[in-house]
Amino acid sequence: MLERELLVVNKLGLHARASAKLVQLLGGYKSNAFLVGRGREVNAKSIMGVMLLAAAQGSSVVLRVDGPDEEAAMAAAVDLFARGFDEDS
Amino acid sequence: MAVGVLLLTHPGIGTALRAVVQKVLGNPTLPVEVLEVPFDAPLDELSMQARGALGRLDGGEGVLILTDLYGASPSNLAARLESTPVVVRRVSGLSLPMLLRVLNYPEQNLEALAQTAVTGARSGVVNGHA
Repeated sequence: MLERELLVVNKLGLHARASAKLVQLLGGYKSNAFLVGRGREVNAKSIMGVMLLAAAQGSSVVLRVDGPDEEAAMAAAVDLFARGFDEDS
Repeated sequence: MAVGVLLLTHPGIGTALRAVVQKVLGNPTLPVEVLEVPFDAPLDELSMQARGALGRLDGGEGVLILTDLYGASPSNLAARLESTPVVVRRVSGLSLPMLLRVLNYPEQNLEALAQTAVTGARSGVVNGHA
């Protein structure tokens, strides 16, 4: 099991399109993934789950991945957060 | 093959929801068609159109019909479609959360997808902060 704290850097936070990108990315891996924010833990492969975090720019969330391809899944997710979900800001 | 999705709604609703979901998710994961029922429309005629849509959407795994308001004409039309050769499941209370969640589980069968729709809509109702 891997766990990392990730900073939400993009201006719009984990809004609908960003959440969809994360969910679609993690959906490509076998590992289970959970996201924790403000004391709430959600399935990071569930779009409504991720959106319920309503994580704004500047907030941080903890990503936990557990499974056979956890390292690749974590690396891809870390990269997606760092790139600000490929948004302009 | 995958389940097809038919949005059977009041005027303006289905088209708008589909447009937003396509913007959010990018390429559609399941085939989605929209049929908006005009007010005072003859349901017999629309029934033909709806059957045509079901035929196009069905890839052998059935079609999930999502309607916006239970008991209203779009939903009543959906009820008529339960006696077609195409296997359908009908879920009412269509919303953006429902549609987003359905399209996030494209690998599910018709039965599971109907439950996914219900759960998605319910989890989308939040009083204040989640």
